Amino acid sequence: MTTNKIEIKHLTVDYTERGRSFNALHDVSFGVGAGEFVSVIGASGCGKSTLLSVLEGIYQAADGSVEIDGKALHGTGKERGVVFQHYSLFPWMTTRTNIAFGIKQARHDISRRECLKIADEFLGKVGLEGFGKKYPSQLSGGMQQRAAIARALAMNTEILLMDEPFSAIDAKNRVVLQELLLSLWEGDSKEHRKTVVFVTHDIDEAILLSDKIVVLTAHPGTVNEIVQVPFDRPRRRESLTQTAEYGQFRNRLLSLLYHDVAERIGGEEVVI
Amino acid sequence: MTVRKRLLHVTHLLFAVLLLIQLLPDRAASDVHTGALIAFACGLEAVTLLGTFLVKKEESLALLVDIVGFIFVLLALWSLVTAKFNLLNPMLFPPPGKVLAQFAEDRSKILVNIRSSLGITLKGFLLAAVAAIPLGLFLGWNARLGGAAAYISKFFSSIPPIVYIPYGIALLPTFRSVSVFVIFLATFWPVFAGTMSGVLNVDRRIIDSAKVLNVRGPEMLFSVILPASLPQIFLGCNQGLSVSFILLTSAEMIGARDGMGYYVKYYSDFGDYTRTITGLLVIGIVVIGVTFLFNRLQQYLLRWKK
Ligand SMILES: Nc1ncnc2c1ncn2[C@@H]1O[C@H](COP(=O)(O)OP(=O)(O)OP(=O)(O)O)[C@@H](O)[C@H]1O
Ligand SMILES: [Mg+2]
Repeated sequence: MTTNKIEIKHLTVDYTERGRSFNALHDVSFGVGAGEFVSVIGASGCGKSTLLSVLEGIYQAADGSVEIDGKALHGTGKERGVVFQHYSLFPWMTTRTNIAFGIKQARHDISRRECLKIADEFLGKVGLEGFGKKYPSQLSGGMQQRAAIARALAMNTEILLMDEPFSAIDAKNRVVLQELLLSLWEGDSKEHRKTVVFVTHDIDEAILLSDKIVVLTAHPGTVNEIVQVPFDRPRRRESLTQTAEYGQFRNRLLSLLYHDVAERIGGEEVVI
Repeated sequence: MTVRKRLLHVTHLLFAVLLLIQLLPDRAASDVHTGALIAFACGLEAVTLLGTFLVKKEESLALLVDIVGFIFVLLALWSLVTAKFNLLNPMLFPPPGKVLAQFAEDRSKILVNIRSSLGITLKGFLLAAVAAIPLGLFLGWNARLGGAAAYISKFFSSIPPIVYIPYGIALLPTFRSVSVFVIFLATFWPVFAGTMSGVLNVDRRIIDSAKVLNVRGPEMLFSVILPASLPQIFLGCNQGLSVSFILLTSAEMIGARDGMGYYVKYYSDFGDYTRTITGLLVIGIVVIGVTFLFNRLQQYLLRWKK
């Protein structure tokens, strides 16, 4: 059981606001294998971002533990790269220097010139060649997010943590970016793939990308179910979404996601 | 815009009007130096024409042409009410040509005074910035101290810096050191307050982004917090800079042996209003020049803002 890259055990997270304590996550446990792509889905406010902020090391759990490679997690770490929903980039740095800065932070052994070279290479990979000298404010939201992904990938960390990285982006660009992430991640050979924890509330996004999906329930956030995604890789959106299995699997996730809603309605299946 | 369109500007018409006005007979008794005025106007017109061909950015050219046009109007009105129709007391209000001629005559003296004033301002200002920015960053970042320091800096920046002058004179040996001290204090508090409020208002998400990149300690302060607070730091600097000039000129009027304030005060005591006005105009132009350069620096350093 200790072969997991990330092991989350009985995690409980509270927020205190004006003296009152609020239980955001309660007894959450699951593991993420090395090179595994795990999505966390759940209704808004169920604690997905909270879970990720603990994994990022910027918020402390009240109880339980997180282990990475068997060692207890304390604070932020060089083995983890992060993409937020908004504002991953520093507005005063050009796209290129943003990426180079991230690389330098992750790997102190390489020179600034090399960092810039790697930055250019990754700008190319995410389709931003020629935009390296632009500031984030001069790019569209989708382009900024591409740059943020480029930085996280260029830092070449073993673990990637992403909190709804595509939710602020229009539908068309979201599809493009999902496919970009999928091809970049699947592009690495199986033993070199990064371990990814990906937060989303988009079911199709979760199915397309993940090996495993953790469904959270709200108030307080607990794990409702952990579902293995049965589809082979490499995946292609068009062929995948047309199969009958996809529809069934998607319905199953939907009912898990809305199970509390369904219970309230009276146990009948809700089709959404 | 084409060159032809660029050339069609009301400023050139104003130039012609200004020259035509000079054809009117002079009513004023004293020497009016029409030659100096015409030479100056021609010089300005030459600069404008040169700019029309050389300046590439449309906005910069428009700014130049508008300012020159404004100067032409001012000179025309000024020469009408003084030299041409003699409507004002010629002792208090010399004609423009006379002021320009005076400037040409005194130029080396004026240069020395400008250098002295600018030297003091820059020294006080830079010392204040170098002290206030790191201190503000440090205290603002250590949020516990930040709250108290914000009020303290508000308290001190509400004191009119002119009250520091007598203390400076009592405590410090030379006029120069007093001036630097006063400008230092006048700049320090607004820059310090600006830096602190900048740091306290840095977007939480920017700090989180930096944290997950493992940015720590001094690098957090100087590579992340400093640039993120730069807009507010500049607000403080602008405030400090404009107060500094007013202060210095006042201080120079009180007790200096050189500087532009001294020049103005010295000659107004003698009733030499030509030199007084020359000095006031020079002060205004120097202030505009420094402000312009400082704005350029600000625009450059904040070019990443929308
Ligand atoms: N800093 C905070 N202080 C107090 N309560 C908070 C804080 N951040 C989040 N919460 C609360 O914790 C709960 C979980 O929030 P969280 O942001 O983790 O939800 P989420 O699943 O990411 O939601 P969304 O899908 O809308 O992003 C919410 O009820 C929220 O109100
Ligand atoms: Mg969230």
